[in-house]
Amino acid sequence: MIFKIEDVTVYFPYDNIYPEQYEYMVELKRALDAKGHCLLEMPTGTGKTIALLSLITSYRLSRPDSPIKLVYCTRTVHEMEKTLGELKLLHDYQVRHLGAQAKILAIGLSSRKNLCVNTKVLAAENRDSVDAACRKRTASWVRALSTENPNVELCDYFENYEKAADNALLPPGVYTLEDLRAFGKNRGWCPYFLARHMVQFANVIVYSYQYLLDPKVAGIISKELQKESVVVFDEAHNIDNVCIEALSVSVRRVTLEGANRNLNKIRQEIDRFKATDAGRLRAEYNRLVEGLALRGDLSGSDQWLANPALPHDILKEAVPGNIRRAEHFVHVLRRLLQYLGVRLDTENVEKESPVSFVSSLNSQAGIEQKTLKFCYDRLQSLMLTLEITDTDEFLPIQTVCDFATLVGTYARGFSIIIEPYDERMPHIPDPILQLSCHDASLAIKPVFDRFQSVVITSGTLSPIDLYPRLLSFTPVVSRSFKMSMTRDCICPMVLTRGSDQLPVSTKFDMRSDPGVVRNYGKLLVEMVSIVPDGVVCFFVSYSYMDGIIATWNETGILKEIMQQKLVFIETQDVVETTLALDNYRRACDCGRGAVFFSVARGKVAEGIDFDRHYGRLVVMYGVPFQYTLSKILRARLEYLHDTFQIKEGDFLTFDALRQAAQCVGRVIRSKADYGMMIFADKRYSRHDKRSKLPGWILSHLRDAHLNLSTDMAIHIAREFLRKMAQPYDKAGTMGRKTLLTQEDLEKMAETGVQDMAY
Amino acid sequence: MAGGQVEKRVKYKSSVKDPGTPGFLRIREGMLLFVPNDPKSDSKLKVLTQNIKSQKNTKEGSNKPPWLNLTNKLGKSHIFEFENYPDMHACRDFITNALAKCEEEPNKSAVSTSAEQLSIKELELRFKLLRENRHLQRLHKQFVESKVLTEDEFWATRKKLLGKDSIRKSKQQVGLKSMMVSGIKPSTDGRTNRVTFNLTPEIIFQIFAEKPAVRQAFINYVPSKMTEKDFWTKYFRAEYLYSTKNTAVAAAEAAEDEELAVFLKPDEILARETRQKIRRVDPTLDMEADQGDDYTHLMDHGIQRDGTMDVVEPQNDQFRRSLLQDLNRHAAVVLEGRSIADVESEDTRIVAEALTRVKQVSKADGETTKDANLERLERMSRLAGMEDLQAPQNFPLAPLSIKDPRDYFESQQGNVLNVPRGAKGLKRNVHEAYGLLKESILEIRATGLSDPLIRPEVSFEVFSSLTRTISTAKNIIGKNPRESFLDRLPKSTKDEVLHHWTSIQELLKHFWSSYPITTTYLHTKVGKLKDAMSNTYSKLEAMKESVQSDLRHQVSLLVRPMQQALDAAFQHYEADLQRRTAKSGGERPNGYI
Repeated sequence: MIFKIEDVTVYFPYDNIYPEQYEYMVELKRALDAKGHCLLEMPTGTGKTIALLSLITSYRLSRPDSPIKLVYCTRTVHEMEKTLGELKLLHDYQVRHLGAQAKILAIGLSSRKNLCVNTKVLAAENRDSVDAACRKRTASWVRALSTENPNVELCDYFENYEKAADNALLPPGVYTLEDLRAFGKNRGWCPYFLARHMVQFANVIVYSYQYLLDPKVAGIISKELQKESVVVFDEAHNIDNVCIEALSVSVRRVTLEGANRNLNKIRQEIDRFKATDAGRLRAEYNRLVEGLALRGDLSGSDQWLANPALPHDILKEAVPGNIRRAEHFVHVLRRLLQYLGVRLDTENVEKESPVSFVSSLNSQAGIEQKTLKFCYDRLQSLMLTLEITDTDEFLPIQTVCDFATLVGTYARGFSIIIEPYDERMPHIPDPILQLSCHDASLAIKPVFDRFQSVVITSGTLSPIDLYPRLLSFTPVVSRSFKMSMTRDCICPMVLTRGSDQLPVSTKFDMRSDPGVVRNYGKLLVEMVSIVPDGVVCFFVSYSYMDGIIATWNETGILKEIMQQKLVFIETQDVVETTLALDNYRRACDCGRGAVFFSVARGKVAEGIDFDRHYGRLVVMYGVPFQYTLSKILRARLEYLHDTFQIKEGDFLTFDALRQAAQCVGRVIRSKADYGMMIFADKRYSRHDKRSKLPGWILSHLRDAHLNLSTDMAIHIAREFLRKMAQPYDKAGTMGRKTLLTQEDLEKMAETGVQDMAY
Repeated sequence: MAGGQVEKRVKYKSSVKDPGTPGFLRIREGMLLFVPNDPKSDSKLKVLTQNIKSQKNTKEGSNKPPWLNLTNKLGKSHIFEFENYPDMHACRDFITNALAKCEEEPNKSAVSTSAEQLSIKELELRFKLLRENRHLQRLHKQFVESKVLTEDEFWATRKKLLGKDSIRKSKQQVGLKSMMVSGIKPSTDGRTNRVTFNLTPEIIFQIFAEKPAVRQAFINYVPSKMTEKDFWTKYFRAEYLYSTKNTAVAAAEAAEDEELAVFLKPDEILARETRQKIRRVDPTLDMEADQGDDYTHLMDHGIQRDGTMDVVEPQNDQFRRSLLQDLNRHAAVVLEGRSIADVESEDTRIVAEALTRVKQVSKADGETTKDANLERLERMSRLAGMEDLQAPQNFPLAPLSIKDPRDYFESQQGNVLNVPRGAKGLKRNVHEAYGLLKESILEIRATGLSDPLIRPEVSFEVFSSLTRTISTAKNIIGKNPRESFLDRLPKSTKDEVLHHWTSIQELLKHFWSSYPITTTYLHTKVGKLKDAMSNTYSKLEAMKESVQSDLRHQVSLLVRPMQQALDAAFQHYEADLQRRTAKSGGERPNGYI
């Protein structure tokens, strides 16, 4: 359908639209007009993505003189594929109605591992070795060498791409990773470098958060994005965590050992160069004296990770004199490693601010703050000079240099925590020195500063006023949308008691109680026998899930479950989990039905949808609190309390409930879909916990469903499923329109009624 | 007849003239034995029941002694003279029963003299069907054994069942039990530490399917290196080591015993398969692609220990395998089903080899088929859309196969009851639906069968009007709409009603298909059927009388359509009979003129 929002003609690829989608677009347009940032919460299952995409692309079409670029950030690669899939649909529609002028170039960007088509490179096990294998074939000095020595192996795809030079362009269209690979293979061009090259021409770029938030990556990939871009963070409920992760580094024993080995190797290389090509080292020294850390004309294939510190914090100064000479730098690093080694040898947990850490480093190892700050740059320069291509081998020393740079750059918002072992496993010594960032606003600040509009959106952003504080920005629009329901297609329940009327909870003192474990099991046994197709269960942690499944296996509960449905489980092995998910979907497709056991905060909870028959019921076992004794978490809570006056308890509850909401929120995809959600813990019945759930769940949580036992829940589930199986009127009844047609929208535009009856 | 054996004092005569040898006649189910009193006499006789062709006996009240004359297939007859009539009747009844049983059982050689020569395979199939379907068996017993229908007539109407079975076999994959293999509990004798595992072919199959390494090891080791028994002993020893979770012991034992180590090591074939499969996985759930896409996984970058991530004891131990992995693997195998349905061998080695072959083929498929990839992408784009914002997509129709009509209609009733009143187009009355059905039958008559047999719209109409009629009837009857009236009847009565209904259907089917009567064969058949039907009719009456008064009304409601159907048949029979007699009478000048 085609309709107007004020002066923008919106092309929307469906015949109908939900009222909240319409409103979402209206708000989004306001933010774009104001060239400001916005925060929008809209329940899952209301077509957020497509509303967003179609408004922004239509907005672009309506302003042909100042075309905006859309940078769409997703959490995961599979969400990226999903988004591109929807964009394809939209693009087809727009091209059908507008012809060639609607054509855009949209690409998904991922790492070499996902884009490479060179079979020899792909044979490498993980991403780092793919990167290294690629660099071994594409680095400028390797290619220079090959002109003399024909035995040096190069990558044909990269060579062809280089040969095509500026002619290597992608024709307009929407490219998923698969499409990029296919195109690259077809043309014989390297898809990875092609995609990276096309970033500056593309109208829509879809990639992972880190490509914009993590300075190490953003410094290379997203350097050249223009200000007139709209940046969207989808599923952004965890964005604060991503931000602080991007600036945190830790050092372990193995890191130090590896770094030492790296230094030895570097040392050997230096000696070798001294003997054979001393001029090169001298040239580097001269460059550093002139204040240039890196050669300006670095070819794309030579770049590795960028500076871990944020762009505006990087000093544009010359590298300090004491580390300009390669040997001196190696010495400094050796001293640093030694100092870190000593610090790791601690019996107690130590917490320190970066300032005091730097000063003790200065007094004990004689390394100044400024020297620390330049560690990254100096190492990069040295590695380029020494023509080191196996970047994966040199990760430990890079980690240490990143650490040094960060600790030298930031005085506030960070703390250093040294732990001799993990709290939860005191018997295993595993000392770790962590530089952890507490301030989420640091990493995202450059993004807010750089781009004209940043949209943060998710299904769960409650409480919505917390995010601007955490990320310290002022949105021009901040709204939470309700969901207009055609029928009550979600059914949240709070289960507080088992069938024997004893309370159930994953509270620390109760979670291993056999009665609770049994009651949890019985709940599932009963549910799998009445719920069709897919059932998903979330547990509070892997270890808890592991334990409970083992117990269920021993007591025969698992066997009872298996009589009804197949059982698939998320494990820590991502490959296995992916296959399990694939099988789970197939079991649901073929009607066999299955149960999926998963973990809140796990990879599955973060990005996999259990919509339609893939999830008719979600059971959330327990409240997914963080491990509150963690030192880092403590430090972070302290920081939040001091800086933003956010109470510890409030933040913990907020965090736990957003995770729980995230888990259960994945059951519906549209209003034609339906699903049940069971919160199986007595703590959910308390108001202070429950009220942190997003409004769209709360509005369906009836008072009668707040304190249920297993048998009552079964009864409610039966009734609900029966009701949902009935045919219904999609457009909504009795004046409450939940599905708008073209005419409805036109009528609305005439009367100016913006607020449709919910 | 208790004990399945009858013993009577008789005289055996090899011919009518023979004075007879006194002795005992012992009849068992399978055979007939005559033991003379005089052990030296050579007239000892043994006749297999299945060799008996027919039996004749003298009538009580005639002045002949109670004789029973058995004729075997070779035409030779054996005559037994009993002491009294009751004895003879007892024996005769017993033999009749035994003969009937013979007919039912697969040794049809006795009956195969009838019309067509049946292949053993077909007989087996029939037999299998009877065994699997209790109702069918009961019908068969009721009509074939009581000679209302012959064996061939009975099966003639079920040709489809016989034919389809072979097709079904090839089409539908055989499933696996969802029980875990690790769920096999050994049996202990209680005194010693010995445990015994009972391995069935199914379990072995499952182990092979779930653990390709074990399968490969079996092919490699058995029987060249060890016996099958040793192999499994070793296997369960390894399983036991797993279950103790003592990785140190496992490692130690594996170091000593290289064959045992095979079971304990991570499965390499599996790992290879996994790598293969991960490439074909749906990109919208490919979490593996994430690994390393964000750079947080870079060694020691990001936050390590803030309590969000879980701590797990280091898993690098190669002798550790988790229950979770086993569960996933098991469910995947169950989902795949029994991929080698055609190999029904007891030989473990053949099974193992067949499985390996199947895997190789599927692997080859996976590498070559671009279609699967295309289909995957297509599906993805279809799923990208939101279903209720666009016009409904027309999915291809799948033929509906209703196994149990009762189940179907009962499950549908809720739907019909709750159809919104105003829903237009859906409401049609029974007559319209009937009209549609009739029309399509006429069409079939005119043009022959087509594919699909009946247009989907027509069948939908008919089904929905049927469900509606049924449920309105039920609404009047039951207070609780979900409870069917039948369920309220006592179980015996309910069974009886259902059985009567099926038998009446069977009878009517044969009855109506016999018209028009063209041969004497059909004539006698119809006569027999009519008798059986009137028999049933009276049984229905009797049942109506016997039920409790509060249920009587409902039962009579249930019975009425059956009786009506029977009445119609009777009427037709009478009318036809009259017409025929009139016709045959018509040849003679009517009356006396």
